[in-house]
Amino acid sequence: MLKGRLAELIDDRPGDGVFRVSRAIFDDPEIFDLEMRHIFEGGWVFLGLAAQAPQAHDYFTTTIGRVPVLVSRDGEGRLHGLVNSCPHKGSRVAQRLHGHARLHVCPYHSWTFDSAGQNKAIKWRKAGCYSEAFDASSHDLPALPAFGEYRGFLFGSLSAAVPTLAEHLGEVALLLDLIADQSEEGIELVPGEVTFTYDANWKLQLENCSDAYHFTSAHPSYIRVLEQRKAQTDASVVRSVWESSDYWTGDAQGIQGGSYSFRYGHVLNWGRFGLSDALPLYDRATVLAERHGDAKRDWMFNMRNLTIFPNLQIAENASSQLRVIRPIGVGRTEMRTWCIAPKGESAAARHQRIRQYEDFFNPSGMATPDDTVSYENCQRGFASRVEPWLQGYARGMTASRPGGNLFSEPLGMQPEFSVLADAQLCDETLYHSYYREWARRMLAGSAA
Amino acid sequence: MTTRLSGTKAAEFLYAEALLLDEGRWDEWLELYLPSAVFWVPAWRDETTPTQDPQSELSLIYYRGRRNLEDRVWRARSGMSVASTPLSRVVHAITNVLVESAGEADAVVSSCFTVHLFDRRSERSHVFFGRYRHELHHVDGAWRIAQKKILLLNDVIPTVIDFYSI
Repeated sequence: MLKGRLAELIDDRPGDGVFRVSRAIFDDPEIFDLEMRHIFEGGWVFLGLAAQAPQAHDYFTTTIGRVPVLVSRDGEGRLHGLVNSCPHKGSRVAQRLHGHARLHVCPYHSWTFDSAGQNKAIKWRKAGCYSEAFDASSHDLPALPAFGEYRGFLFGSLSAAVPTLAEHLGEVALLLDLIADQSEEGIELVPGEVTFTYDANWKLQLENCSDAYHFTSAHPSYIRVLEQRKAQTDASVVRSVWESSDYWTGDAQGIQGGSYSFRYGHVLNWGRFGLSDALPLYDRATVLAERHGDAKRDWMFNMRNLTIFPNLQIAENASSQLRVIRPIGVGRTEMRTWCIAPKGESAAARHQRIRQYEDFFNPSGMATPDDTVSYENCQRGFASRVEPWLQGYARGMTASRPGGNLFSEPLGMQPEFSVLADAQLCDETLYHSYYREWARRMLAGSAA
Repeated sequence: MTTRLSGTKAAEFLYAEALLLDEGRWDEWLELYLPSAVFWVPAWRDETTPTQDPQSELSLIYYRGRRNLEDRVWRARSGMSVASTPLSRVVHAITNVLVESAGEADAVVSSCFTVHLFDRRSERSHVFFGRYRHELHHVDGAWRIAQKKILLLNDVIPTVIDFYSI
């Protein structure tokens, strides 16, 4: 069905300098249903961190598309990705966001599963007059057809027809290393999850994370507050990481950052921060350089917004946020968000990270609401088909280069495309990677 | 003459704060807070446990110092925040006011709140509800807020919450 429509949804003609996306992909319920089936339920999605189930028998729950998922650590310490739905009548078995359970007892008819998902009991089985055919079938919680971990980041797929996780992540693994290597002990989520919704399509969040162009337009009130705090600083206000650099103001000269696009729809946009004591990582700067070299350490200090398509974003800018995008409907999205942090950092660094986080990232803060309300304004505007093509994918068209550049080389990273940007370029070609992968998965699914 | 806070006076104080927020009289609202005031909205660790330690756990809002609330007021009025322009209409309803402890010049007051919000732009109404805990100090002849803790119970946030809607 989609195959015949693709040309009216994405207009991708590199030779002509054209890349356009139709408003329809944001507000057509049929397309949303196909996205759920072919993108979220048909390929790798991010599930959570291994650190969310640190001990034997710890677990957390999440979703892949519309499907409830249980990630559980068994008695031997192995992680399992399971469909969180009882084989008996379909009820969700684990009810809580996270917890600890040697046994999961279905609250409906008491079928019982161990922390590896294996069925341990069917209530009154002997008296149940079951057939041999029943006895011959598995009663375990189904394992996800694909489940994998890279350095504490857990991914799963409801389809077995996916590349290996290593291939899916590809070069982006090097960018996850920049997070995982900030502490020898690894990474963790600061206690306290913040969940919010907005009434607009999930891809608005996908794009906004990669959108350098909106910052000074959508967030001037936040920027002005930071300026006021810097002018009159005292112990009651938290310092801002933005004060360490002016790349984002539009005034800075020379190369200030840029973007990288990778296979399978992953992207990074980045900017120069430098080694500033306004960053919580500052007290580790020397140790990290000794351990990883100056170039990699400097990358850890850069502003970095990473998307691993389709649902994971790690934003290291004002502070450090891990976001999981959960589409609910074509015009409604839920965001589950956490402060991600290196384990074992100093109490002062952790405190600073948390305060910087709350002011910028929370839906009760001074920046995110100005994004989400803008998404909702876009969603309203998408109703128009007078001119269906959006023009938000054109900046950077003549700056995009195949392969990497002098900044990716020290990491040994080979992106598909790269853009080196001055302060005002604000590349939009990195979104092309999203929509090329979107089209690939939608077409592959439709053909199946 | 004792200044010990009665239940009636405590309720009047909370109602007065609510009215200032409802009517957007934010300068007068800020006047209720001591310069060193703590304004704290915990997040939740899970379904049943709010975060307890703002130094090591995430909050929805945590400020130590009225100056930070002044920043929030400035932002909401600035015209530079699309989330704050135009403002939603709000009404705070406060019940179950209980003076938990009262000294000569300080008191702890707990209460329940319901905030109804109507956003004309999106034509949506929301209700936020939870519990307040006010620590009040009697300074220069008037009660002032030394700490306000807002435990928001329905914390899946529909797009925006701000100091005026909780």
